[in-house]
Amino acid sequence: MHKTNITNITKEEVVTLAEKMLSKGSRLVIMNGYVDTEGKNSIVYNYDVEGRVETYICRGYEKLPSITPIYKGSAQWCEEEICEMMPIEFQGLNKSGRLFLPDDFDGTGQILVTPLAELKKNNKEE
Amino acid sequence: MSYIVPIGPYHPSLEEPIHVKLYTDGEIITDSDVFIGYNHRGIEKLTTERNPIQTITLVERVCGICSHSHPFTYCRALEEIAGMEVPKRGQYIRVIIAELERLHSHFLWLGLAAHIIGFDSLFMYTFSARENVMDMLEMLSGNRVNYAMNIVGGARRDFSKEQLDNLLKMINDLKEPFGKVLDIYANDKTIALRTKGVGVLTKDDAFIFGAVGPTGRASSQSDDVRKVDPYSSYEDFNFKSISVDNCDVFGRAVVRLLEVEESFKIIEQAAKNIPYGPINLGVKIPKIPAGESFVRTEAPRGELTYYVVYGGGPNNYRVNIHVPTFKNAAAVPAMLKNNTVADAGLIVASIDPCFSCLDR
Repeated sequence: MHKTNITNITKEEVVTLAEKMLSKGSRLVIMNGYVDTEGKNSIVYNYDVEGRVETYICRGYEKLPSITPIYKGSAQWCEEEICEMMPIEFQGLNKSGRLFLPDDFDGTGQILVTPLAELKKNNKEE
Repeated sequence: MSYIVPIGPYHPSLEEPIHVKLYTDGEIITDSDVFIGYNHRGIEKLTTERNPIQTITLVERVCGICSHSHPFTYCRALEEIAGMEVPKRGQYIRVIIAELERLHSHFLWLGLAAHIIGFDSLFMYTFSARENVMDMLEMLSGNRVNYAMNIVGGARRDFSKEQLDNLLKMINDLKEPFGKVLDIYANDKTIALRTKGVGVLTKDDAFIFGAVGPTGRASSQSDDVRKVDPYSSYEDFNFKSISVDNCDVFGRAVVRLLEVEESFKIIEQAAKNIPYGPINLGVKIPKIPAGESFVRTEAPRGELTYYVVYGGGPNNYRVNIHVPTFKNAAAVPAMLKNNTVADAGLIVASIDPCFSCLDR
């Protein structure tokens, strides 16, 4: 049975890991993000290493280095999306503007930390 | 003379909303920007208020074309967290529906591409063939679009021997109209003129943008998850992963055409060799322990990924969905460069975009 192997990494390892993966010819499958129950950011990097996915999680940082200088197009929308959804900053990410949210979106990712009831209420008021 | 040509987000030639800004020099596109998010429905946020049974119904509605791939992948993620092993017969049933979904998705694209090119007789012929696949899905699941075939722990419904025999006959009957579509795509001069050398995505660009599915495999990528990271018994079937080096719109058509043949093979093998036994684990209300899982499947348009976090409560803590269009749409500006404005619609369509899926 398929099993996700998760490795925890630190902020300092994010870029070196991406460089190592690129040098091996591994594809960046996708990046995921969530805010855990303690309010800490968790950013997930999934790389395809010879057909197997290796999952790395970087937990507890408000700022992380962007891997767009390494994985360019592959990481661009991933990091932009995570910025929209949760309160984190990718240092070095050149944002093209909004991605999924409306044109008047203020650029602060709060969706994942705002209760759904409050989002519904705001939507009703508008 | 330089112009900026905006297309969309709502335009008669677009099936779904996307905004593309073309920077042109005369007729030639020198650069472009793609804007998405016109169909954002907050489905990921909604999943945090729902239990697995409710979520299966919800994610099945992320997309109308790959409506089996979404609940299939979500269920696989929960099964991994809970350590469940789906019975073999349940796995085969999931594979049969997944491959039928690939057939109707590829026929849809082949028809729409013909329509965009202006070859409407081929469009109608392809859609007529596609109807047979919709009939197969209806015959097996009772539904033409949302098949509701997945539950946590296996498949929701079993197939009878008569249904499987009927499926084999219908697949056999479909081979003749498909052969004609294949012949036209391979040999017609109009198709060749409109697709060969158009919308080129080089192998390097495909890698750096992370292009997946038929879009990536038309640019020499070999990322078919069914082959490289088999799941749900795909390792039991004899089929080829299609990859070509054309890198253009024609290559994307070739990959889809050849994949149709491979899907025929998989369905035939699955229908003939489906093992007897239970179709699921009989779990009525799944209890999922705390855990997190990353799962990917090969949806018709490419690699579909789910990252599911469960906190041990009744509802999902986080469901993060990424569809193939998320990667492929980002590669569109690279494909558009140095092509004419007249080809822009076909190039955007060549990735088989699903913006409903993408925006979820």
